[in-house]
Amino acid sequence: MTALPLPLPLPLEVRDLRTTLFTRRGEMKAVDGLSLSVAAGETVALVGESGCGKSLSALSIMRLLPDPPARIIGGEVRLNGRDIVPLPERAMLGIRGKEIGMIFQDPISSLNPVTTVEKQIVEVLMTHTELGRGQARVRAHELLELVGMPDAARRLDAYPHQLSGGMCQRVVIAMAIACSPSVLIADEPTTALDVTVQAQVLALLKKLQAEAGMAMIFITHDLGVVAETADRVVVMYAGRKVEEAPVDDLFESPLHPYTVGLIGATPTPGAERAARLADIPGMVPPLNALPQGCAFAPRCTRVMDRCRTEKPALTVPAPGRLVACFAAERG
Amino acid sequence: MPRFGFPRFEFVGRFSRNRGALIGACLILIVALMAVFASVFFPIDPLRIVGLPELWPGEDPEFPLGTDSLGRDILSMIVHGARATLLIGLFASAVATVIGVGVGATAGYFGGWVDEIAMRAAELFQTIPNLIFVLTIVVIMGSTLTNIVIAIGIVSWTPIARMTRAEFLSLRDREFVQACRSMGMSDFRIIVSEILPNALPPVIVLSSLVVAGAILFESAVSFLGLGDPNVASWGRLVGDGRQLIRSSWYICAIPGIAIMITVLCLNLVGDGLNDALNPKLRDR
Amino acid sequence: MSLLSLRDVRVHFNTSGGVVRAVNGVSLDLAVGETLGLVGESGCGKSTLGKAIMKLVPVAGGEIVVEGVDIAPLNREQLTNMRRKVQMIFQDPYGSLNPRSTVGRSVAQPLVLAGWKAAAMAERVETLLRWVGLPSDAKQRYPHEFSGGQRQRIGIARALALSPKLIICDEPVSALDVSVRAQVINLLEDLKSEFGVSYLFISHDLSVVEHIADRVAVMYLGMLVEVGGRDQIWKSPQHPYTRALLAAAPIANPKLARARQRTVLQGELPSPLNPPAGCPFNSRCPIAEDRCRVDKPVLRPVGNGAQAACHFV
Repeated sequence: MTALPLPLPLPLEVRDLRTTLFTRRGEMKAVDGLSLSVAAGETVALVGESGCGKSLSALSIMRLLPDPPARIIGGEVRLNGRDIVPLPERAMLGIRGKEIGMIFQDPISSLNPVTTVEKQIVEVLMTHTELGRGQARVRAHELLELVGMPDAARRLDAYPHQLSGGMCQRVVIAMAIACSPSVLIADEPTTALDVTVQAQVLALLKKLQAEAGMAMIFITHDLGVVAETADRVVVMYAGRKVEEAPVDDLFESPLHPYTVGLIGATPTPGAERAARLADIPGMVPPLNALPQGCAFAPRCTRVMDRCRTEKPALTVPAPGRLVACFAAERG
Repeated sequence: MPRFGFPRFEFVGRFSRNRGALIGACLILIVALMAVFASVFFPIDPLRIVGLPELWPGEDPEFPLGTDSLGRDILSMIVHGARATLLIGLFASAVATVIGVGVGATAGYFGGWVDEIAMRAAELFQTIPNLIFVLTIVVIMGSTLTNIVIAIGIVSWTPIARMTRAEFLSLRDREFVQACRSMGMSDFRIIVSEILPNALPPVIVLSSLVVAGAILFESAVSFLGLGDPNVASWGRLVGDGRQLIRSSWYICAIPGIAIMITVLCLNLVGDGLNDALNPKLRDR
Repeated sequence: MSLLSLRDVRVHFNTSGGVVRAVNGVSLDLAVGETLGLVGESGCGKSTLGKAIMKLVPVAGGEIVVEGVDIAPLNREQLTNMRRKVQMIFQDPYGSLNPRSTVGRSVAQPLVLAGWKAAAMAERVETLLRWVGLPSDAKQRYPHEFSGGQRQRIGIARALALSPKLIICDEPVSALDVSVRAQVINLLEDLKSEFGVSYLFISHDLSVVEHIADRVAVMYLGMLVEVGGRDQIWKSPQHPYTRALLAAAPIANPKLARARQRTVLQGELPSPLNPPAGCPFNSRCPIAEDRCRVDKPVLRPVGNGAQAACHFV
């Protein structure tokens, strides 16, 4: 009798990740128990405003935290089933760029300013694969064509400062996918780009993902980009996940008051246009002075007494949805 | 209505965190007190002969640091010399700062040909060997304290000018300056009351280092015998002990150590000022 | 008479690579009580145009008429009258306030320059801070004690000091978080309905412009390519670049996003040192023909009060 095939592990599974910042002003729980998972070919958007912990979550997953002051103090990050949190740095060097790729916000400063584009891509290929220099150069050319670089052959010899922001981001993407990683983390990759270039880069990422079946985490504060690119959305506030839902559900019926506020604060053109944008009063609390109870309570329109003393846990209001809110539980 | 400044207590706190700077500041304070109260502690004119010549330190309890070739009390001369040394350092630094900030601010703010001329002038002053320039000025114009201070100031202004210029170049395009221009503020007012207070912190650090440099310059000038004959600075003391450097080397060494400690402390204080006044760099 | 009238304004910069025509012949009118949105991508010249109107950059040609007075040839002293009427708020909340001045001093600066007496100034500062929703003790505090959104409010308070008729907003919310953005946009709208102030709202964020503007002007490589009413531009954009821009702008609604036709605009912005001959957009335009590479189209009326600069409209 043949054995049933074991289910393949998810490309990325994060369980209860905790990252703390140790500073002179106190300890800050920058990421406080984040769990998320991404399937092959799926795009999960990680949304939140500044200080919510989304970038630090990404850096924690990549084990790129500046230590001091930041350190992972708990949780697991399972890359294709293997927990990479306890791995030594030497092992991580073989994983970053190979099994998991990352692209950052400012493309021009992501590249080495004194080396040509070709050398940088070749370096990635030679570090992680068995290719010789000649083969790597051929592959570098192929990769540049793949990412839609106009006039790719000529651009190989260019230095980053000779390229526009959009072109630099294409190079960064080429380097990130050079070794066909199973997971790609994109941290605000289009925030610094013009609108038309942003559309090109987003279309490119979608195409690459479809062709390679990569799992992608897309970090952004722009709900428009979320609507365009994500399959599922995770909303973060003060280091914690407050809501998770498939993208259509999130925009149609947001449950957490913060999500409601964010969507209401985003202008949408057309008949849907509201006369006045919803604004969320107050400010994000500093991480070393979080309120007792729910971190959003001081700004919440549906706050109850319970919210000020207890921290809400994530509940499952519907299949595929999570929300951490007492008011939402009530309905 | 107009109010300036930055939180003062934060500054002191940040400064004190740097142990070296704190020690440096305390020692400089001691030197300064010596300078101010020299006549109180040692009322007798230090240039008076008060004992046997070439007494080593510790030989005679009345002269803890010994006597020089003529029999003058070295400790008394050190304490009185502190005044001359510090004053020269401070005034020379002041001259350098005034020239440097003036040139740097104008060059950085206006740019264009004003900047070109200023930078070429700075290059000119930088390429001339500093010590030789100072000596030349002193020899031509006479060995008075004023001339020495001015001469040292003239060779020391270029790094301050460059730093000021760099600060002005970066601050000039900041939006709050544009806001002032859009309100119709005059250039002079923008330079002096808007940009300068923001540009000063790194300049202050540099000025403190220039004090150290000025003391070294003056010591060199006096050592060579070209200093003001009426002023017994530490450099002069080192110079006077030149002849006996083989036998009674302490006559050179003691003022030399005093110079070294003071310069070192000024450097430490400069570091501390840098940490305290540029908090963004510190917290990173 | 319109509040602001631009006629063939040009701004040139001399760089080591040649002359950059940042603003290359822009003509525009802004009526009293109107919010005109000025959109475009980086390098299109919209910020430079805003600065030119404030006389922060030298104007190489054309007329800038504020309430009937051409301010383009005036020097600093002669501009005092204009400064009472036109003010500016800036993009960077962290750079637009002097870090070594108290908030009170920064907000009072226009009043000091206009010669107000101390008592009247103090009262005015209180009022201004109240209008923008800041506590009155803010005037003794320093900018670094405030968040980005609050600093923008301080900048707005400063711009309102002399009761201007027109405020040029240069990307005022681009550096702010989503929820804070909404607060500032709502504040600007409230101030408009209370004091009747007009805005020239410069932004690259189309959804924000669509929300706040009455009329919209689109710029590309220093020239206007389309001008029209807000609804008109969004419902039936005439110029191919406007269409591309609207197609590229993300919409915060997944169903609408999926439903719409998207042809992604190819190519890159040409270097401003070497703009294409003829129509500046011809290198990327999906309907460009030979004529476009030779003849530069002129901005002309295309019906419904709109104007477009294209041979095929």
